[in-house]
Amino acid sequence: MRREERLRDLRATLALKRRGLARGWYRFSRNPLSVLGLAVLVLIVFAAILAPYITPYPEHANPYTNFGDASRPPSTTHFFGTDRVGRDIFSRVIFGYRFSLTIGAVVLGIGVAPGIILGLIAGYHQGTWIETVIMRITDVFLAVPPLVLALAITAMLTPNLMNQMMAIALVWWPWYARLVFALASSLRNEYFVREAELTGAGKLHIMFKEILPNCLAPVLTKMTLDMGIVILLGATLSFIGLGVQPPKPGLGTMVAEGAKRLPGEWWGTIFPALAIVVVILAFNLVGDGLRDVFAVEEV
Amino acid sequence: MERLLDIKNLHVGFRVFEGHLRVLNGVCLDVKEGERVGLVGETGCGKTTTVKSILRVLPMPPARIGGGEIDYNGRDILKMSRREMTALRRHELTAIFQDPLQSLNPVFTIGTQLRDIVKDSAIGRGRRLSRREVESRCLGALRETGMPDPERIMTNYPVQLSGGMRQRVCIAEALSTNANLMLADEPTTNLDVTIQDQILRKLDELVEEKGVSVVMITHSMGVVRDLTERVNIMYAGSILETGATRSLLESPKHPYTRGLMASVPKLTGEGVSEGIPGRIPSYLDPPSGCRFHPRCEHRMDVCETESPPFFDITDVHRAACYLYRGET
Amino acid sequence: MSDTTILTIEHLVKHFPTKMGVVRAVDDISFDIAEGDTLGLVGESGSGKTTTAQCVVGIYPPTSGRIVFEGTPIGVAFKRRPKELKRKIRIVFQDPGSSLNPKRTIKQILSVPLRVHGMETDRKRLAMMSQLLETVELPPAEYLYKYPQAIGGGEKQMVAIARALATNPRFVVLDEPTSALDVSVQGKIINLLMRLADELELTYLFITHDLSLMRNVATRVSIMYLGELCEIARTDEFFQSPMHPYTKMLLSSIPVVTEEEESLKPKKIVSQGEIPSPVNVPPGCSFHLRCPERLPICSEVDPEMTALGNGRVVRCHLFPGG
Repeated sequence: MRREERLRDLRATLALKRRGLARGWYRFSRNPLSVLGLAVLVLIVFAAILAPYITPYPEHANPYTNFGDASRPPSTTHFFGTDRVGRDIFSRVIFGYRFSLTIGAVVLGIGVAPGIILGLIAGYHQGTWIETVIMRITDVFLAVPPLVLALAITAMLTPNLMNQMMAIALVWWPWYARLVFALASSLRNEYFVREAELTGAGKLHIMFKEILPNCLAPVLTKMTLDMGIVILLGATLSFIGLGVQPPKPGLGTMVAEGAKRLPGEWWGTIFPALAIVVVILAFNLVGDGLRDVFAVEEV
Repeated sequence: MERLLDIKNLHVGFRVFEGHLRVLNGVCLDVKEGERVGLVGETGCGKTTTVKSILRVLPMPPARIGGGEIDYNGRDILKMSRREMTALRRHELTAIFQDPLQSLNPVFTIGTQLRDIVKDSAIGRGRRLSRREVESRCLGALRETGMPDPERIMTNYPVQLSGGMRQRVCIAEALSTNANLMLADEPTTNLDVTIQDQILRKLDELVEEKGVSVVMITHSMGVVRDLTERVNIMYAGSILETGATRSLLESPKHPYTRGLMASVPKLTGEGVSEGIPGRIPSYLDPPSGCRFHPRCEHRMDVCETESPPFFDITDVHRAACYLYRGET
Repeated sequence: MSDTTILTIEHLVKHFPTKMGVVRAVDDISFDIAEGDTLGLVGESGSGKTTTAQCVVGIYPPTSGRIVFEGTPIGVAFKRRPKELKRKIRIVFQDPGSSLNPKRTIKQILSVPLRVHGMETDRKRLAMMSQLLETVELPPAEYLYKYPQAIGGGEKQMVAIARALATNPRFVVLDEPTSALDVSVQGKIINLLMRLADELELTYLFITHDLSLMRNVATRVSIMYLGELCEIARTDEFFQSPMHPYTKMLLSSIPVVTEEEESLKPKKIVSQGEIPSPVNVPPGCSFHLRCPERLPICSEVDPEMTALGNGRVVRCHLFPGG
């Protein structure tokens, strides 16, 4: 008896989730651009993961020189041409995506969760000293420009990707705290929250089970759009020499290297730059699509 | 008398994830000049969709007109060009909605909004009004609706006014364009009973005075009884019964109308009826034939296969129900 | 309907200090509710009926005055109330659309009160939930695994009622439980509530602005205006022989649907003027500015509640105290 009930319960719950996902996909797929963005994104992610196996010259991502092949324009053997030491730019771009995606994932992975939690707590305790303390701290961090902070931190430590990611994550969480705070503080007064309080439910339950699920939609959308911004930030840092250090194939690093040789050997800069544009655009399109998915339809 | 508005067999649907919602299923409704007609129905019956179709403000990608006409003074609104439609909305049609906070722009004063409307409607007719004329028309419109101290109201923002006053402003705006047909969609549902009473009386006075035709959409039988000469009962996308208001309410004929009337709690204190069994149908897979038949205790075989046309009960009372087939 | 009083309100006052002045939401009201009774509370915007309900339930602590439930004073906010009290006094809110969390399934929604009040195992809760849903005539297999958006307004309200009953309460506050619903659905819910009141020996505080509904639901009716009580009477007396001018004005404004009802309404009193805001309560009797029967004394002195026997109470200079 017990197992049968449990199975039925489980099956019903799963069916519900599946239907929700199907409906979400339907809404997402109404917009062809979002689907395109998703397709491109999936392609990039797979390419980045499988880089050593699918790129024509995987060894070019490591220290490598071949001056015989240097500075060749795009051709059938080198789709994006070669740089001034003879490395295949196409392969390096694919490897470069690894850095970009990592920085996005790490920054958001580290920054978003604390931001959400603090925003929830502040929102639920709206009007009390707890809110004041949390939100003023948030304000302080928000006032610091990420780029400047990253520069400052690098001035103190060695410039490398890890330190950059930490620096950016440090100033990224306040945006989420603020977003969730705004949502949570208005949700806090909804009838269903009052009802839970009146029933005697604990604060943790109310914050995480009642309020948080209603905040996820804007948070997820923002995360998707933020990926693009973070990637750009990382590329910028690499461009000015603080992020991914040569000879590693960071996209921003490659743009910097190739910039010295413009406009003659344009392929050295343009292709990495385009690669950055494409991945950011893809994230933005997916973010737009997500917004449609979560939008409440009114008929 | 001429029919000002004549909706003929209107079909409107919506395309959504789950499929195709066939909402309006052959709506037939008419309003003569100077007449006040009620459109009564419960949530989801299609009243608002009908209003939006008349004004042509339905978002056309999910919505689709499946057939029928909406004739205004003989011309089909659905076939009008954008320019004709703008002229229509400017001069002929006007509307008031349930929530005045949504109809009034919160960041502009009442005065700014009212002046805009008065100027716009005059320009459309080829006249330019002086600032003093505009002002006096605005104040006049507000005064007509029973607003105390219109000069001060002009300087207020919508949030500074009470619900009743906001709705009066909306009525002033609606009537200041000298339109011929007003669509009132649940205009007093959100208001307190005594205020609702005041506003409906005032609205009644004004439309009578100006000879404006009104389509009063509401779910309240009581409101429609006091304010309209004819009433249409709507259910699941079509009109089930139509006739002179008082006599229809005193002796409803369609089983749905009867069920509805029985469900309204009465001041006589006879208890509350169990309502109408069943639920409103899904528009995805609506019942065949008469859409009310699954819930109807008088259903016959034909009700399931063919949608009933209107049968005359008297010359001012018709019901779309096979129970009255013999009467024609 | 027994003679034991289950709830007593004594000189309840609730003021909210705001930037624009003090909002005198509830300004000294007193009444009793007997066990098993349904006390109707009627009033327009600013009357204080909702705030009264909120004080009873514990959303706000009173500014002053006493609330006594089953003999024990309970006039504090819910944070300071014992869990047992939260089990016994429950509320059903007006708008089913916002009283059910749109991101949680019915099963999750119903499990909250059950879990808080002692049902530990999943299995026990599932059984109880199914029982609750059956009580409100919603097949559990279908409804447990739905989200609120997938069900109609009437059904949502049924779920809200099931949730209120989940803790086996004694007293339920119903704040406009059917105002947001269609009339054809209302009947089922009202009849269900009446039946449950009988079967489960519940006492109700029933708030609505729909006087026709009140006529058929309440055993006693009380009417409030701007934070004060105007009149309390047994239902039939309230409707057949209203005494307070505001009661008469309200009754004469109800839109009715039949000639018969029309004849039952008091003579038409055209209401004039806006309802003042509770920040700006007029001096003397709060209703005097709109009262067609006002006397000179009404603008100066606020009348006292006068008991007229048989549980009937009026607060008006036309019926001076004895």
